Amino acid sequence: MVKVQDRRHLVLIGNGMAGINTVEQILKLAPSTYRITVFGSEPYPNYNRIQLSYVLEKSKAVEDIILNDRNWYLENGIELYTGTTVTHIDTEQKIVKADNGMEVPYDKLIVATGSNPFMLPVPGADKEGIVGFRDIADCQNMLHAADQYKKAAVIGGGLLGLEAAKGLLKLGMDVTVVHLFEEIMERQLDHTASLMLQAELESQGLKFATGKQTEEFLGDDRVSGIRFTDGTTLDAEFVVMAVGIRPNTALAKKSGIVVNRGILVDDYMRTSAPDVYAVGECNEHRGITYGLVAPLFEQGAVLAKHLCGVDTKPYEGSVVSTQLKISGVDVFSAGEFMDAEGLSIVRMHDEWLRIYKKVLLRGGRIVGGVLIGDGKESSRLQQWIRTGTVMTEAIHNAIMGQASVETGNTAAELADEEIVCGCNGVTKKHIVDAINEKGLTTVEEIKVATSASRSCGGCRPVVEQILQYVLGDKYDSAAAKQEAICSCTTLSRDEVVTAIKEKGLITSKEVRYALEWDNPEGCSKCRPALNYYLGMIWPTEHVDEKDSRFVNERMHANIQKDGTFGVVPRMYGGVTTPDDLRLIADIAVKYNVKLVKVTGGQRLDLLGVKKEDLPKIWKDLGMPSGYAYAKALRTVKTCVGSQFCRFGTKDSMGMGILLEKKFERLDMPAKFKLAVNGCPRNCAESTTKDIGIVGNEGAWEIYVGGNGGIKARLAELLCKVRTDEELLEIVAAFMQHYRETGKYLERTSEWIERMGLESVTEAVVNDLDNRRVLAERMEVALAQVKEPWSEILNNSNLRERMFEEISVSTKQD
Amino acid sequence: MIEPMMNKNEYTYYLVGNVDDFTERLGRVVRLGNEEIAIFKTTDGRIYALENKSPGPRGGTIAEGIISGDVLFDPICDWKISLTDGQVLDPDTGQVRTYPVQVHVEEVRVGLLKNVGETFHE
Repeated sequence: MVKVQDRRHLVLIGNGMAGINTVEQILKLAPSTYRITVFGSEPYPNYNRIQLSYVLEKSKAVEDIILNDRNWYLENGIELYTGTTVTHIDTEQKIVKADNGMEVPYDKLIVATGSNPFMLPVPGADKEGIVGFRDIADCQNMLHAADQYKKAAVIGGGLLGLEAAKGLLKLGMDVTVVHLFEEIMERQLDHTASLMLQAELESQGLKFATGKQTEEFLGDDRVSGIRFTDGTTLDAEFVVMAVGIRPNTALAKKSGIVVNRGILVDDYMRTSAPDVYAVGECNEHRGITYGLVAPLFEQGAVLAKHLCGVDTKPYEGSVVSTQLKISGVDVFSAGEFMDAEGLSIVRMHDEWLRIYKKVLLRGGRIVGGVLIGDGKESSRLQQWIRTGTVMTEAIHNAIMGQASVETGNTAAELADEEIVCGCNGVTKKHIVDAINEKGLTTVEEIKVATSASRSCGGCRPVVEQILQYVLGDKYDSAAAKQEAICSCTTLSRDEVVTAIKEKGLITSKEVRYALEWDNPEGCSKCRPALNYYLGMIWPTEHVDEKDSRFVNERMHANIQKDGTFGVVPRMYGGVTTPDDLRLIADIAVKYNVKLVKVTGGQRLDLLGVKKEDLPKIWKDLGMPSGYAYAKALRTVKTCVGSQFCRFGTKDSMGMGILLEKKFERLDMPAKFKLAVNGCPRNCAESTTKDIGIVGNEGAWEIYVGGNGGIKARLAELLCKVRTDEELLEIVAAFMQHYRETGKYLERTSEWIERMGLESVTEAVVNDLDNRRVLAERMEVALAQVKEPWSEILNNSNLRERMFEEISVSTKQD
Repeated sequence: MIEPMMNKNEYTYYLVGNVDDFTERLGRVVRLGNEEIAIFKTTDGRIYALENKSPGPRGGTIAEGIISGDVLFDPICDWKISLTDGQVLDPDTGQVRTYPVQVHVEEVRVGLLKNVGETFHE
């Protein structure tokens, strides 16, 4: 092995996906060939730029989209300089110079400077409040703006602009998309598809100003609006420019490297300067500059092989495809998409289902396609376009939605180097090798081993086909069909629940035995899940299995990172008394708790309690458990309501306390939060609760499926009712329906998207018989619940075994 | 319950309780001198003693984990830990310290290295 200092020196300018992916491939092919130094202008390690829209939607944090953390650089011996911009390349002396004065010599140099958002050069474009959408800093700007301002404009109705607009809309801004052309995404969609997408986005709340050319930005220091060339104006306190990207060629140009639109490269990514390469969005290959992720991985693969002296086919360009990463809209486009001479077109347009599908053929081969409203076949269609597959009846039926016909497996036709997972840059060969070397048999295992399909999941069907192709007869199709509840079994949630009912299985041991679990005692995924399903199906027969509960549910307290616990007693509806507060304060002092916290659920959390003190505290408190740890009803948040508030129309505290007392302690698939408001001002924040109830003059409105957590979602109106009795029955029916159909750990926000609001409304509101039966089953389940703290206090054996330590001295007499 | 017992493998064994003091698949903490030990009883009645310290990056204790066969699922990081040797199983890596256990006539004894029982770790 060559010593590090004796290795040739590879310098990478640009710490983004294209450059780092190339380095990763080099490390795989020939780990000890190069000493590697990386420069990046941004202060972060390499992150997944295509997932910025998730950060904007707040469904992911910045840390979640980091692809290579700083440890990765350390482990691979890579010198990383973040926040450092290279300002000059001396291609004669082979030295790069950075803005901090560093000078680093290179043997090989990769330029991967990416691209910049194109800012319209119109008067006022330098005003405050006008940003691009390109990096984490832009994202943070946008998140910040959404807190302060209301009216936003996004200039550019392409992919990036629509993602940005949808993100800002989700953050609560009033968003107008301004587009130069009459039709949005005109570079990927035809007339029909474009109009359908616009209508869909309008129904979600986006506004559009199409056919508008920006002439000037209005306002003093800060932007206040936009004037268009037709004389009309638009108010905007915040503007995102997403009209396109420009390859970032400034450094190369300044250093005398030949640049056209991008840095010119040949089929091996070589630039005009010796030993200088350019990869990704900054380059121009055969007259094309790419702005999507798949081509840059394909370029990186060729470059890595070239640099490692491994034989490779030249890079000959990529077929690009587009998938819109915004929730609630399926949009796919790849290859050719416009009607033209010499093309035969297969088209299906269903205005009622709002589905549009179009496949373009040249000489019988598939050369392009557009899917709106139903993207199920998108990954396979993409594969057929890439490989130029000949249209067959089976393929036609698969895409156009005729009865399901076996379309055959086309994984064999994929080239080894073909990127299957665009998010993580995983090629077919990676997957095939992992299956063969590690003996993988499921997509889940492939995901763990290679990261393929780990991020957006769009390539899952192709991964599955590759698995099928590699395993041949050994491939177990049933295992792959539905997501298994854990790796101990191939059965899905529905299959397990059905079998429990049909076979009359009462204990989880019976389930695992009868359904032939691989692991006779299960795992940390299926144990709590089975315990829940069994309790839900057999409320009076099933005996709770404490050893299958997660620590918090077993100890009836919240474990903290130092091994101590948090204790939260019930405070129904967030209403308490001076006596109770005094008692809680005395106990906090007596047990020397580390902190008293007012929780988000309107009650008090005593933090830093030792395990062995838990039963003593419960005894002294004499209050029921607040279930702050459980997959069950947590709290019912209430506003003051008509008892005191001038605006209150309904007794929200009274109803909240009633609901909390009625439904507490019952196991649910996941945690469950309620709120009751006395008027539409909504002080108790109904919109982010599993059930949010809003009092009006003479009626209650019931909102469902809200979530203020990791994946925020606003609750939707289920129905309006006049009486308290109706309210209680519908709440009971809704909760029971969720208990009976929800997957373990699935919140109502995910559940309702899976089931559809209409189907849930039918089951728990409109179908009166079903509603009554659900509420009755709820009563049976509620009759079984017990207060856990007193149960433990009254059972000395349990208390001793679960909470008391055994202490043994090692001192010898 | 002080009852040290010398052993030829250079461990001193201490009586920590009766087999029935431990519940199948529910961990229990034993403080043995300065050591904090999690004792686990598997479904087939075998007893294991591991240092009550999570091998994962977030720290915490392991006594509260879920037991399946002779594997423990760490309650904090959900890593799989082999009860027999404390080894962390794929895809994660690491090891938890284990202590030898003797069960004789329903009595459970845990071994500490001889001569260091007093001073070990402190």
